[in-house]
Amino acid sequence: MTSWTEMQNRSFYEATARQRAKYLLDEGTFHELVGPEAGLSSPHLPVLGEAVSFDDGVVTGVGKIGRRPVFVISQEGRFIGGSVGEVGGAKMVGVFQSALALYEKAAAKYPGDESRLPAILISFETGGVRLHEANAGLLAHAEVMEQIQICRGKIPVLSLVGSKLGCFGGMGFVSGATDLTIMSELGRVGLTGPEVIEEVLGKREFDASNRALIYRTTGGKHRHIMGSANYLAADTIHAFRAQVQRILALPYAEITAHRSIGSPALVEEQLGLTALAAEIKPKDAAEVWAYYGNANCETIPDLSTDEFLQHVKTRKGGSAS
Amino acid sequence: MSDTRPKNLVGKGREALETLLAPGSFSEGAVGTQTLDPALGPGAVVGTASLQGRTVTVIANDAKVRNPRFPVVLAGVIGLEEAYKMALAVYLTIEADRDAPLAEKRPILLVVDSPGNAPGKVEEVFGMHLATGAYQLALAEARQAGHPVVAMIIGRAISGAFLCHGLQADRILALSAAHGTMIHVMPLGSIARITKMDIERLEELSKTNPVFASGAGYFYKLGGVEEVIDDPADMPAVIAKHIAEIYKLNAEDRADELGPWGRGTLGAERGGRTKRGQVLDLMASQVAALEKELLS
Amino acid sequence: MLHELTFTFPGGTRTLPPAWSHTGVVGSGDLEILLRQADLGGGMEFHVVTPVRGFDEVWEKILGRFAAEANLGDVRIQINDNNATPFVVSLRLKQALSEAMEGGNAS
Repeated sequence: MTSWTEMQNRSFYEATARQRAKYLLDEGTFHELVGPEAGLSSPHLPVLGEAVSFDDGVVTGVGKIGRRPVFVISQEGRFIGGSVGEVGGAKMVGVFQSALALYEKAAAKYPGDESRLPAILISFETGGVRLHEANAGLLAHAEVMEQIQICRGKIPVLSLVGSKLGCFGGMGFVSGATDLTIMSELGRVGLTGPEVIEEVLGKREFDASNRALIYRTTGGKHRHIMGSANYLAADTIHAFRAQVQRILALPYAEITAHRSIGSPALVEEQLGLTALAAEIKPKDAAEVWAYYGNANCETIPDLSTDEFLQHVKTRKGGSAS
Repeated sequence: MSDTRPKNLVGKGREALETLLAPGSFSEGAVGTQTLDPALGPGAVVGTASLQGRTVTVIANDAKVRNPRFPVVLAGVIGLEEAYKMALAVYLTIEADRDAPLAEKRPILLVVDSPGNAPGKVEEVFGMHLATGAYQLALAEARQAGHPVVAMIIGRAISGAFLCHGLQADRILALSAAHGTMIHVMPLGSIARITKMDIERLEELSKTNPVFASGAGYFYKLGGVEEVIDDPADMPAVIAKHIAEIYKLNAEDRADELGPWGRGTLGAERGGRTKRGQVLDLMASQVAALEKELLS
Repeated sequence: MLHELTFTFPGGTRTLPPAWSHTGVVGSGDLEILLRQADLGGGMEFHVVTPVRGFDEVWEKILGRFAAEANLGDVRIQINDNNATPFVVSLRLKQALSEAMEGGNAS
């Protein structure tokens, strides 16, 4: 079997949900929660003749990073596009509930020691609601948003986006609502998928088959320039894990200070950006990159992650990494 | 009186406000001590009004205007400006009652009639996901602070727009389908096309399984809508009844019977979402068994 | 409706080291396999869930061949299939067996 150390150098983009969940955590500490052996697959897919999965496309687990108990939610894009249904949604909600319960016990056992308190990582790969069980999926999204708010002030919640399908639909705003986001340049985050935008605006305005355009609009480099991808990592499990380790070593107050939304001041900040959008009416994201002082914007997509981070000018000033 | 009221309120958010609120009581743009810029986010109508004798913050959609700065924002679509404006109205409400006791935290009434979040390129470039997320976090925070939040679906409550403007409420009420209300992620026809399922088969299946079909009745069975209202004239009294119940539950420290989590429990009670509870119970017991190791 | 198939074969002399072991992802053209210790009087049981109909004999042949090669007894093998080809089914079964015999990936 491939060793834990060997797995660290694997592509995060290519890794399965279970590999991401397991290898983001310290070696040998991962316990899957409501795993395949529990057999809790979707009750709604069989009647529609649609294949089921024992984990319903969401791997949930818990382990350690250093002294911290760390919960992981990891979505599997290969299974119905990583879509969220009743079971997968409940698994996500269950992680927040479990982390909150453990938080109280950890806080009582280790008063004043933040390094012992639980954290949550969400590795997204999804287009949001599973249409085959759309109503249940929608309700689950709302539950996850509520749980994120309940965790505030207690549990750091980190988003990791670097998998093939990116993070769209309702899960787009779930990722935006967490304390902090780590992306690779291969990651994409947004609300409306490219096909729908093409349908609304027409192919001339937005060609959904134009991969470069999609990356300029929603990709990791763009989100990093805009400030909502707080950190940009190389495409290995190790790079994401190392970034998570650096963040989890910070005091909670510093972690949550990375937030994009979740307070009146942050809403005012985003409203400032919205005014900028109305003012410069960019035809392309590259115009916004130029606005923030980047030269040779046409070369940005081709830069390696390291080169990009060395040279890029972001909304928040310089490189945040 | 009731015969003069519109039977169908789809696309008529402002008319709905006249039906819901005490005549002349709506002070548009004013929330707490502040007044929001009237030009900001015209697709969202926010303000303070009186409902059945109570001062409430109102957040509604206006389907009859376009946002001059964002061309895809029309017909009640929630755009960047609209979502942030709605979020600000919530935060101003929290701020206004910061020192008020629990029983005096003013309610927030969401009057829901939106077909979606703005599906544009500029919106994606700047982050529509952040805008809709910001509003949801604000509503969740208001509930935590004890403000009763009631959503009244008078028209369209569709997918991301419903998540953003409705699904974070303590209680969700809907006019019955006879009034043209629409609640869904996608119409069944579109689901059939995308999932390559047969539409007749889906229609047949939706008689026994409420998880994919469109409409208030199905959401009711899943616990996604607390109460369906048949006569629009009943809306103010029913909303007031739910506000009173929310105050009571919050005072009794029973907030977990409200909001998204409470609707999960309700879904199981109504037989709509039965595996959710099994998953939650199993995970809780598994984590409890690992507690010693995790806290070592 | 999803199609459900059950096959039983005489078991072999080896036993499954872990209580259970899981391999694979239910992607399009792929499948997942869950092997579990089970009291089956020494036998081997397969339970297949698949959207595809009309290939019962093919399944029986592939699984029978695998059962003979695996030489395992008292094992229940559950498969969630999503249109995998016979080649992929055989490949994944071999992977699943090899992972299980190395101690499995149950955590």
